[in-house]
Amino acid sequence: MLERRLKWLAGLILIWGGVILCKLVSLQVVHHRQYAGLARARQEQVVKILAPRGTILDRTGAPLAMSVPTQSILVNPQKVPDLGVAADIFSMVLRMDRADLYARLEAARQDGRGYFVVKKKAAWEEAQRLRGMDFDWIQIDSGSERHYPNGPLAAHILGGVDFAEKGNSGIEKVLQAELEGAAGEERVLTDVKGRGIDALVESEPKPGAALTLTIDERLQFVAERELAAAAEAKGAHCGSVVVMNPRNGEILALASYPSYDPNRPPDGTDNPEARLNHASSVPFEPGSVFKVVTLAAALETTQLRPESMIDCGRGSITLFGRTIHEAHGGYGVMSMADVLKHSSNVGAIRIGMTVGEAHMHEYVRRFGFGERTGVPLPAESRGRLRSLERWSKLSLPSISIGQEVSVTALQLAQAASIVANGGLLVRPRLVLKKGGQALPVPAPVRAIKPETAMTMRQMMEGVVLPGGTGYPEARLEGYSVAGKTGSAQIYDVAAKRYTHNYNGTFIGFAPLNNPSIVVVVTLNGTHGNLGFGGRAAAPVFHAVATEALRVLDVPKDLPEAPPPPVVAGNAADKDDLAIADLGSREPNILEESDEETPVAKATAPAGPRVPDFKGKTMRAVLAEAAEKGLPVIPDGSGVARLQRPPAGSVLRQGERIRVRFSR
Amino acid sequence: MTRYLSARDLDWSLLLIALALCGIGVLQIYSATLDSPYHSAWWRQILYVAGGLLLMWLVLAVDYHALLHYVPSYYIVSVVALVVTYVVGQTAFGSRRWIPLGGGLHLQVSEFVKLMIILLVARYLAEIKTETLEIREMTILSSLVLVPTLLVLKQPDLGTSLTYIAILMVGAFLAGLRRKYVVVIAVVTMLVLPVGWYFLKDFQRARLVSFLDPDRDPQGAGYQLIQSQIAVGAGGMFGKGVTKGTQTQLRFLPVSQKDFIFASLAEEHGFVGVVIVLSLFFVMIMRIVQNAQTAPDPVGMYICMGVASLLLFHVLVNVGMVAGLMPVTGIPLPFFSAGGSSIWSSFLALGLVNNVRLRRFVN
Repeated sequence: MLERRLKWLAGLILIWGGVILCKLVSLQVVHHRQYAGLARARQEQVVKILAPRGTILDRTGAPLAMSVPTQSILVNPQKVPDLGVAADIFSMVLRMDRADLYARLEAARQDGRGYFVVKKKAAWEEAQRLRGMDFDWIQIDSGSERHYPNGPLAAHILGGVDFAEKGNSGIEKVLQAELEGAAGEERVLTDVKGRGIDALVESEPKPGAALTLTIDERLQFVAERELAAAAEAKGAHCGSVVVMNPRNGEILALASYPSYDPNRPPDGTDNPEARLNHASSVPFEPGSVFKVVTLAAALETTQLRPESMIDCGRGSITLFGRTIHEAHGGYGVMSMADVLKHSSNVGAIRIGMTVGEAHMHEYVRRFGFGERTGVPLPAESRGRLRSLERWSKLSLPSISIGQEVSVTALQLAQAASIVANGGLLVRPRLVLKKGGQALPVPAPVRAIKPETAMTMRQMMEGVVLPGGTGYPEARLEGYSVAGKTGSAQIYDVAAKRYTHNYNGTFIGFAPLNNPSIVVVVTLNGTHGNLGFGGRAAAPVFHAVATEALRVLDVPKDLPEAPPPPVVAGNAADKDDLAIADLGSREPNILEESDEETPVAKATAPAGPRVPDFKGKTMRAVLAEAAEKGLPVIPDGSGVARLQRPPAGSVLRQGERIRVRFSR
Repeated sequence: MTRYLSARDLDWSLLLIALALCGIGVLQIYSATLDSPYHSAWWRQILYVAGGLLLMWLVLAVDYHALLHYVPSYYIVSVVALVVTYVVGQTAFGSRRWIPLGGGLHLQVSEFVKLMIILLVARYLAEIKTETLEIREMTILSSLVLVPTLLVLKQPDLGTSLTYIAILMVGAFLAGLRRKYVVVIAVVTMLVLPVGWYFLKDFQRARLVSFLDPDRDPQGAGYQLIQSQIAVGAGGMFGKGVTKGTQTQLRFLPVSQKDFIFASLAEEHGFVGVVIVLSLFFVMIMRIVQNAQTAPDPVGMYICMGVASLLLFHVLVNVGMVAGLMPVTGIPLPFFSAGGSSIWSSFLALGLVNNVRLRRFVN
């Protein structure tokens, strides 16, 4: 009986145990994968690891754009245990207005929102304090924010990013793919309260490539400063400066006026012009600077030489029933070099007529006009150049003096580089290195013969020599310069006529025989009386080119004599104007305009005199220099034997006195 | 009496198995409480086991017949202690189970009442001396058992109170309870509880669990069961290794050093570890049953079978709960779960078995 009952009991227990064992087999062996997956789903969260966006540096390695980590403070209003306490904490730690914050939190809770941003871009210390409090209803999100440490400097080149740190203008937009990098992934092991315990990096984030631009921060600063000063002084509504190395196409500075601060998100109050890059995106009629192309074409395709005499028709020329006037006065017969020097419209038109339509069109193309330069900037304009078939009879004379075409400052810099570097078309470049790797320099294309370029250089030098349109504003101390001024009346499309506003342009390069820099300055919308062309743009050229040559340490090629005093010359020569209203019989408005008498510049050299150090000990020299505040570079030991500059000469700004000591 | 005692007569295999289980248990407690506020539990457990061995030796020293003599006293003390627990007991997880002893120690009276029930049932059934258990005796015995059972159920502690019923049922069955009663009781238990369980919807199960055992289930009835099943399933064949079980280490598994220690074991040691531990329990219970068969008198047999049914019920209900086959009732795994009361009552039960074994050669 007991035996039988025990067996019964054992059987029952075996069934029960068997069921449990089956269940265990099912859980652990059969469905193991499924449960392991369930466990992972509960314990692991896949989190993206942000890849830092690439830094943008100038050519010296100074940062122009960088990404800095930020912290955002978020709460779920539904899960905050006490809104009052939350408002107290946040107002204390984040220094926010408690009443306002409480009201907004309350409103968010009433709306049933589960997401409330308390503060974006909180300081790291603030976030750290909140982390220390260890409230599980406070969420701190790490992000990244683009920062432009120099504010508006190079804003048009750099562009900007949107809320998701994606580039939406400038280099940031065009090279988005390189800058962006690739986010990594990590699996974060979280405990039952959702706190991260351990992280396993699945894929490392690939940081965006650092870009080194060809821009020189110092030069960019000077270019922007000078441009802004000139534009404000002359009443220009916009303008640009391009500084380019003509040998390898590196853009050293590219300034656009007006400017903006890319750190500030755009709002409705912004001047829309400020966001435009006037150097690359906004074409304009170049006017007289285009005569460089006309003359270069003439040198290559006709028998005309610089000394060839051109009949300038005493100030007017009649073509196809239209009379075109010189801007000022009139010239008789003069050499082709003088046509450029005085910027004679009639002369340039005659030269252009000699070149002929086909050759003119070809050379405009050879100089790179009518196509994009290919710099990595968004919305680059190709300018406007009509195809040959669509040229009218007046097109050739118009284009000869820079009308009927429109170009960008960048294209002008590219064209000036052809003359400067001996005839090669070098594409402008903005990016020097990508992620530390130097980018290859594309092979230049020959545009004109080297001898043509040489001749053009010499003729362009005449422009800044006494009597030229760029004299004396464009002259540089210690360097030979070549240049060309240009002023184009702005065509009012609505009124179908040229207005009283001008595009003042100056293109130039230095030193003459082996140019290191090409500088293009444009000032758009200057008013007649305030000066245009040579007068408005050339001083900017002077300041920027001087700085560029100093920054690049270009050896001087001229004796540093103070320039001869300016004789009040023929003011008309400077008003180098591409005459407008080719189709109109009315006399050009400028003919009646009041002459502005140029003021002779004070040429007395400024600066301290260099004392005579000879025979003094180093200690005495240094003491004297310190007393007078003069920079001295001592060399050797003993007593001073030689010094440069010599005693009694004027020490110019930035110059230092080298003193050679010996026993 | 002591002349009968000999260390050689002890059931050493039973003791070694128990110590092996305790050892694995300590390791598992260490792993489960790593970096948690209970990280000292593993060495406390070692002290409890040492204390348990001492208690076992004390119980061995007194002839079980002498022990049985005082059953009425035990009964009264037990009931009074349960009432006291209910009045002054410490509330934890919504139930009053513990009497604070000071020094951070708490005594769970209901664990020791189990031993009293074993002795009570053994003595009562042995004294009937009839071939079959009649309905009258059954009713009296049931009533006696029901008083502490209801008191424990009122704490509320469903799991522990059910162990009393288990001891009673096994005892009554072996004592020759008539088949019709057995059938009636068995059908009621086997059908109403587990079968009915599977016909209920999830939320009904949840309600049932919450109704029967609300203290164990503060965050939704299914939570612990699901986490436990995931832990067991995630362990797989060989487990994730000591301290590597993520369900355990990341606290997804509730009370992983106590009632759900088996889930933690299953996660970290896999099916292999589970089978080894269950085999140890199986051998242990078979040894106890064998001791029941070699017992010198019916009362010794009833004591051994009481202990066997108690341990068996604990193991099956606890493992069944961990595997997701039973509602969360919250009874510990003997020799395994952290906790002094459970360890001590388990070793006392082993002491009772050995007590019977030592005195099997009666004249």
